[in-house]
Amino acid sequence: MIYLDHAATSPPDPAVVTKMLPFLTGRFGNPSEPHALGRQARADLDAARAGIAAALGAQPADVILTGGGTEADNIAVLGRCQGEPGRIVVSALEHPAVMRAADNLAERGWKVAIAPVLADGQLDVMAFGELVRPGDAVACVMAASNVTGVIQPLAEAAAICAHNDVPLHIDAVQAAAGMDLDVGHLPGDVTLAVAAHKLGGPRGVGAVVGPGVQTLEPINHGGGQERGLRSGTENLAGAVALAEALRIRQGDDAPAERERRAALRDDLEQRLALPVAGGAAQRLPGHALLLTAYRGDTVVRLLDERDIAVSAGSACASGDPQPDPVLAAMGIDQTFARGAVRVTLGPTTTAEEIDALVVAWAEIEQGLDAAREASA
Amino acid sequence: MIDLSRAGSIDQPDGAGSAGGGRCDDRVRFTLRLAGERLAEVRFGADACASTTAAAAWLAEAAEGSGLLDAARLGLTDVLAGTTIDSPECALTAVDALHAALGDAVVRGASIAADPHRVGIAMSGGVDSAMVLTSAVEEGHEAVGLTLRLWIDPDAPNPERACCAPSAVRAARDLCHAKGMPHFMLDLREDFRAAVVEPFVAGYAAGETPNPCATCNGAFRFDAIDAIATALGCSEWRTGHYARLVERDGALLVARGADPDKDQSAMLALVDPAILARVRLPLGERIKRDVVAEAGAKGLAAAKAPESQEVCFLGGGELAPFLERQGVELVPGPIVDEQGVELGTHHGAVAFTPGQRRGLGVSRGTDALYVLKVDALSNTVVVATLERLGRREVELRDVRLRVPCDRVGASFRVRAEPIPAALAAHADGTATLVLDRDAFQVAPGQVAALYDGDCIVAAGVVAG
Repeated sequence: MIYLDHAATSPPDPAVVTKMLPFLTGRFGNPSEPHALGRQARADLDAARAGIAAALGAQPADVILTGGGTEADNIAVLGRCQGEPGRIVVSALEHPAVMRAADNLAERGWKVAIAPVLADGQLDVMAFGELVRPGDAVACVMAASNVTGVIQPLAEAAAICAHNDVPLHIDAVQAAAGMDLDVGHLPGDVTLAVAAHKLGGPRGVGAVVGPGVQTLEPINHGGGQERGLRSGTENLAGAVALAEALRIRQGDDAPAERERRAALRDDLEQRLALPVAGGAAQRLPGHALLLTAYRGDTVVRLLDERDIAVSAGSACASGDPQPDPVLAAMGIDQTFARGAVRVTLGPTTTAEEIDALVVAWAEIEQGLDAAREASA
Repeated sequence: MIDLSRAGSIDQPDGAGSAGGGRCDDRVRFTLRLAGERLAEVRFGADACASTTAAAAWLAEAAEGSGLLDAARLGLTDVLAGTTIDSPECALTAVDALHAALGDAVVRGASIAADPHRVGIAMSGGVDSAMVLTSAVEEGHEAVGLTLRLWIDPDAPNPERACCAPSAVRAARDLCHAKGMPHFMLDLREDFRAAVVEPFVAGYAAGETPNPCATCNGAFRFDAIDAIATALGCSEWRTGHYARLVERDGALLVARGADPDKDQSAMLALVDPAILARVRLPLGERIKRDVVAEAGAKGLAAAKAPESQEVCFLGGGELAPFLERQGVELVPGPIVDEQGVELGTHHGAVAFTPGQRRGLGVSRGTDALYVLKVDALSNTVVVATLERLGRREVELRDVRLRVPCDRVGASFRVRAEPIPAALAAHADGTATLVLDRDAFQVAPGQVAALYDGDCIVAAGVVAG
């Protein structure tokens, strides 16, 4: 199997697995307990927290461990909306982890302003600046789109929010594997969400990170772990794994690996010669959203039958194909939107795998063209 | 594995058919080349999701090389057994397209050698034809389901209530396939429009009250099914009408069905006797209630299908909006009495029919008023009290005399009690009926079924 769906989830990084394994066997203590095993666990957790903070330019006290990316986003958004209904601003790019949380707020009487996206897949910063107003509970801009891979103007968004004294939440779940994240250099009450499984780590662990966590209110209640913002016995193995995954993906060797990935991606795009969503903007290094003239899920299946895993850009739910809202916001024609195929490379992707995809593509393209032409 | 090697289309095919274009905009098209009774080549086109494309590719492979009848046995169950598909409803688009192409091949003239054990079954998707099919199979026949696709009006209030709606076609096909039998869907929409709907609309526009079912059976449907059943080598064909066929003096006559509440003999009044010779009506001796109960006991899904008795192409709606959809302009005009006194306004004279009381909304003292006459030219509806509607003499045109007769029972509506009458047929195909008592709801364009006892001995159309 040639795996080119790293944006969906990443293959476990052996280094990360090695680091976390002891915590799934002997070092199982509960960090809240005073005995030796518990004290050891507390020390290991503190170290992991410090590692996570260091990788993202934050203070250890500004790291809240969560049960994954979606929970991190929910804690960061809903944790600012616990009082009387007010107003929030979200970019049109947001992942459902943010967008559905915003929908939920809207159902409860909140005003939700959607900041538009430009044709190149970037947030319309001017419009965002006009939408964000003092008193807004939170504004959300993802670091890079999980659909197109387009990197967003975070510095500008943070400056706008800081100027209006509005907290900014950045969903960096997709971005953490492909760009430097430094929450300490952004002004204002910033929070940032990450998840381990996009980085070679396991499912079920993520974090909200940044100075903004200090002003969040809890959305779940229990034993008061994680500053009361995420009650529940800490996932120590997960925390260790997340710290190690971030150390690798955000570390000193990361830029060279990202460059290699970007070069493979660029080579692929050039050889397939298909339109690419957001191709004119700066994108995550291994990310390509190819706009084919076929149906995305048909291409995915044909490639799957050739042992190549990619994903479709739009999902068809029970006979009602939903055009991807991000592509719709970019003004991409429905015909191409439904033909979108997401190819995402990872650190393990090789040039041979890209060659294999190009060969498979040539094989299926002819048949798909014949089928499409004969359909009318 | 989706095999794309049969993707493409055949130039000048012997059969072609498409389906899709609904909400998800999936489109599938099949083209076929025949060598005798065999599908020598099958090609498919698909602009569709993975499930639909996989189903189309699989069906092309399965159908290629098989006989026409075996290809017509292929259905959703086979697709689901033969390939991996996430969404069966998507695969249906591919099945529909293949069957459209098979039906097209038959309409274009494909034929099969005759077989004395093969019978055609005219199927609407309802309970009656389901039972006719079932009994033919139980008798050991190879039963070939034949469903005509006659009308699609997406703007009708309830398009699925048309007798040949896509869901009805699929129900008929599913039943045939469940019994291991072939099914053909024959798209005769253009012919139906020309032969039945346009005369119906023109008749109304001229102020007449045409009877589309009798006209359809007499001048279109039976002819079409008979030709197709013959081409498919059927020794006879069966339909689920509640009527019987009786031989008298060497002539084959349509007679009343045994179920007085369901008798459909009048609908067959105009059918050519030469065609009737190849038709069987297995439900003629049955009571509808029993048929439904038996269908239920046999577990036929059609036992629960809603019964459609209205004109099939109205699609669950009223006449006036249908006529408007067909381009008949409805202009408000006067409702007058016989003396010309204006009593009210109508929304379009041609949507009214003599004898009608409903929808008039006018009164004269305490008299109940009925439509006496519709004058399309002056867009006027003339109303009168019921006794003024009475007629003793009715002129007929397009008269079919099945056996010599001069005394008949005249029926102008399905299951109406016949009125004894004297019939004088003229050499030019017209006839004069002199009724023993008044008929109150006789309108130009209606079909008059003329009975002797239970048998229809003559029929004609009420002249203007």
